[in-house]
Amino acid sequence: MEEKKIILSAKDIEVKFRVRDNYLNAIRGVSLDLYDGETFAIVGESGSGKSVFTKTFTGMLESNGKVTNGSVMYDGKDLTKLESDKDWEGIRGAKIATIFQDPMTSLNPIRTIGSQITEVIIKHQKVSAEEAKKQAVDIMDRVGIIDAAKRFDEYPFQYSGGMRQRIVIAIALSCRPEILICDEPTTALDVTIQAQIIDLIKDLQKELKFTTVYITHDLGVVANVADRVGVMYGGQIIEIGTVEEIFYEPAHPYTWALLSSLPQLGVKGQELNYITGTPPSLYNVIKGDAFAPRNKYALKIDFEEEPPFFKISDTHYAKTWLLDPRAPKVEKPEAIRNLHEKISAMTSKGGAYYVEQ
Amino acid sequence: MERGYYWKRIVRSVISILLVISIVFVLVYSLVPRERIFNSDDTLVKLGGKPDEKLQYQMRTWQRLGYIDYENMSSYCSTLYEAGTDEIAACNLSGAKEEKDFVEKYESLGYDITYLPLSKSPIASKDRPIAKRIVEWFIQLIHIDSPNYVDEEMFPDVERKIYFGKTPTGGLAIKCSGCEYKYLAYTDTSFPFIHQNWISLYLGQSYPTFDSLQVLNVISDSQGQEKRVDTVFEDGHVETSSYKMTACKWKNSLDKLDKNKFQDNYANCTTIKKDPSMMGISFIMGIIALVLAYGIGLPVGLLMARSKSGLADKLGMLYIIFIISVPSLAYIYFFKYLGSTFFHLPTAFPTYGVSDIRSWVLPCVSLALPSIASLMLWTRRYMVDQMNSDYVKFAKAKGLNQSEIYKKHIFRNAIIPIAQGIPSSLAGCITGAIITESVYSVGGMGKMLPDAINSYNNAMIIALAFLYTTISIIGVFLGDIIITWIDPRISLANKEEGR
Repeated sequence: MEEKKIILSAKDIEVKFRVRDNYLNAIRGVSLDLYDGETFAIVGESGSGKSVFTKTFTGMLESNGKVTNGSVMYDGKDLTKLESDKDWEGIRGAKIATIFQDPMTSLNPIRTIGSQITEVIIKHQKVSAEEAKKQAVDIMDRVGIIDAAKRFDEYPFQYSGGMRQRIVIAIALSCRPEILICDEPTTALDVTIQAQIIDLIKDLQKELKFTTVYITHDLGVVANVADRVGVMYGGQIIEIGTVEEIFYEPAHPYTWALLSSLPQLGVKGQELNYITGTPPSLYNVIKGDAFAPRNKYALKIDFEEEPPFFKISDTHYAKTWLLDPRAPKVEKPEAIRNLHEKISAMTSKGGAYYVEQ
Repeated sequence: MERGYYWKRIVRSVISILLVISIVFVLVYSLVPRERIFNSDDTLVKLGGKPDEKLQYQMRTWQRLGYIDYENMSSYCSTLYEAGTDEIAACNLSGAKEEKDFVEKYESLGYDITYLPLSKSPIASKDRPIAKRIVEWFIQLIHIDSPNYVDEEMFPDVERKIYFGKTPTGGLAIKCSGCEYKYLAYTDTSFPFIHQNWISLYLGQSYPTFDSLQVLNVISDSQGQEKRVDTVFEDGHVETSSYKMTACKWKNSLDKLDKNKFQDNYANCTTIKKDPSMMGISFIMGIIALVLAYGIGLPVGLLMARSKSGLADKLGMLYIIFIISVPSLAYIYFFKYLGSTFFHLPTAFPTYGVSDIRSWVLPCVSLALPSIASLMLWTRRYMVDQMNSDYVKFAKAKGLNQSEIYKKHIFRNAIIPIAQGIPSSLAGCITGAIITESVYSVGGMGKMLPDAINSYNNAMIIALAFLYTTISIIGVFLGDIIITWIDPRISLANKEEGR
C-alpha cells in the first residue's frame, strides 16, 4: 500500500467525566491515525465512546469532561492543550467541522438559513457580508438546494428534514474544512433521505477532498462509504482495519457479534441474532477484556489481563487474546461466514442499501 | 389572510368583554340586595324620621341608578296640568281624585303600586330587567359628542356647527357650537400633544361614594388641591384660575360670575388639580417599577445563566427564594424599614407629595421586588434551556465563540416568551397594586375595587371589571403580535390556514 499522509494523529487518549463525585472513564486509551482524504468509520453501540472520542478533536467535550491523558496532533498542534475559544479559532468549524445527528434541532429556528451560513463564512474567512452571501448561495447550490438564492432568506421551519441536513452540511463545509466529523448524520432521517445525504457527502468529499470521520451504528452505511473502520467497545477501539477486512475477515468476537446482529442477515423463521448482556459500567475499573462477560468465546485470560493489539495485516489490528498463538482455534459464527455475497446482494441494485452512483 | 384573523380575534375579544360584563352585572345587580347601597348614605339617615320622604328618596335613587322605573303623583300631575295652577296643587294633595287614574294607568302598564306610609299617596315602580340594563349599558358606553347636544327648545338660537379654530393658548382645534364640549379636538404643549373630547366612555354614575360624579372621572381626573395658574380666557384676558379652558362644557344657566368670565354658555369647566389621577399615579408607579424590574431582572437573569451554579447564580437564587417564600407584606415592611432608617426616605407617599422624587422611591422599589425575582427566574430558565439546545452546540462546532453564541443564538430565542408578557404587564400597571399602595398610603387605583365592593358602589365595580377585562385582552393581543415580530415560526392566522 502506498504511503499516505497522516492528517490527524490521536495517541493514548483518555477522557474522564466527573459525575456527582464519581469519575466515568469514557475513553480508555485510544490511538488513531487519520489519513488525508480517507473516510474512516467508527462503529459501536451506544455508550461505547464514539462521539466522545471525536469531540476531543474539536474541544467539544461537555464542561464536566476532561482529556486526562494523550494527545491529538493536528497541523503541528496538540489539540488537547487548547482551551479558550481563542485557541480554537481557525480550527474548530474552520479546519475541523462537525455535523450532528438531528437536523431538526441543529439550526436556530428563528434565524434565516442564510444568516446561519454566512455567519460562519464571515467568522472564518473574514469576508464582506456580500461576498459571504455569494459563497453561501454557491454552497447551498452544491448541497442540492434548488433555487438557493430565493431560499437564502427562509427560516428552518420552511425546510424539510432532509433539506435541513443539507444546510447543516453546507454550513460545515462552507469554510472548506480538512476534516469533517459526521456524528450519526442520517439517524434522524427517513431511509430514502438517508441514502441521498450519504451520497451527497460522498460526492462533496470527492470534489472538495476532505477527510471524513463517520460515527454510526449503521453497518450498512459503513459498508457503503468507509475506507477504514474502527470498532469501539467500552471506550476503546478493539479492532481496526479496512472495510473489507472488518466485514470479511473480522477477528474480534465483538465484531463478530456486531456483524451477526445485522437484521438484514436474519433468516426468515429464525430468531434474529443479538448480543446478550449489557455494556460494562465505565465507572468501574475494567479488568481484562471489556467484552469478556458477554463473549461466548471468552478465554480465562480475557477476565484477567487486557489483550494487546495483534497485527493481522499492515492495516488490520485487533485487540483479542484469540489471536495469540497460544489461543485455541475458534471459527467465526455461521451467520457472517460468507458475508461478502450477502453484503454485495444488499448494496447492489435492488438491495436495501443500494445507492445510485 | 392575516387581516381575517385580526378581525376574528377582535370579535372574540368583544364577545369576551360582553360576557364578563354580563356576568358581573348579574352578580352585582341581582345577588346583592339593593337596600345595601344605602348602607353608607348619610342623606337616608337624616330622613330617618320622615318615612314618606325616605321611601321616595330610595325610589329616586334606584331609578337614577337604573334599578327601577318609578312614578309618583307629583310627576303624574305635572303631565296633566300646567305648573302653578290650582288644579295641580289639588292633584298633589293626598286623596285627590287623580290617584285612581294613576293607579289604573300604571297597574295596566305592569307597575307595582305601593302607598307611602303616612300620606297614603300611591307610587308606582317596576323592576328593569337585567338584560335590558346590560344592553343599555353598552349602548351608552361610547358617547360621541354632536352639535345636537344643546336643548333645541331652551336654546333655539344656538348655531349648530363644527369648525376649525384655535385654542386660547394658540393651539389648533376642531371646535363646535351646540355640542357638549366646545373643543372637540385640540393640540397643546403637554403630552400626548393631541387631545380630544369628541368620543368619551360613559361607565355610569358613582354612588354612594364619589356621589354625583361619573365613574370614569373618579379614577381619571386629577386629584388634590386646585392648581391656580395664569390662564388665558376665551376673550383673551388673563386671570389666575384653575380652569382648564379646553375642557369646558355647556352650561344651561349661567350665574353672574360665569357671565364675567365667559361670553358663551361653555362655562362648566373642569378644574386642574395638583396631583395626577388615581389611574395616573398607579400607572406612573407601575411603569417605574416595570422599568426597574426589566432593567435589573433581565441582566441579572442573564448573568445567572452564564455563571450557572457559580456564585452569581447562587446569590440570585437566594434572592428569588427569599422573595417567593417570604410573604410580600413582610418584605415590603422590611424594605420600608431599611429605606427609612438608612436612606431617610419617607414611609408615606403624602409626606412630600407627588412632585417629590423621594416619595416614589420606596413604593416603586417594593413594587419592583417581586417582578425582579420572577424575571430573574424565568430569564435564567429560558437561557439555560437555550444553552442546552442542539443548535447552540452546533453553533459552537461552527467555531463561534461564547459571546457570539450568546448574542446570536441564545438571547433572542430566550427572550421570546418574556417579550410576550411585556404588553400585559405594561397595561396591567393601570390596575394598581393593592398592598404597596395601602402600605405607603398612595392614592392610586389599587384600593378602588375593594373599596367599591365594600361600599356597594356597583357602577364602579362594573366599570372596573370592564377596564380590567379590556386591558388584559388588549395586553394579551399585543403580546401575541410582538412574538410574531421576533419569532418567524409564529404567524397569527386562522386555524384552517395555519401551518
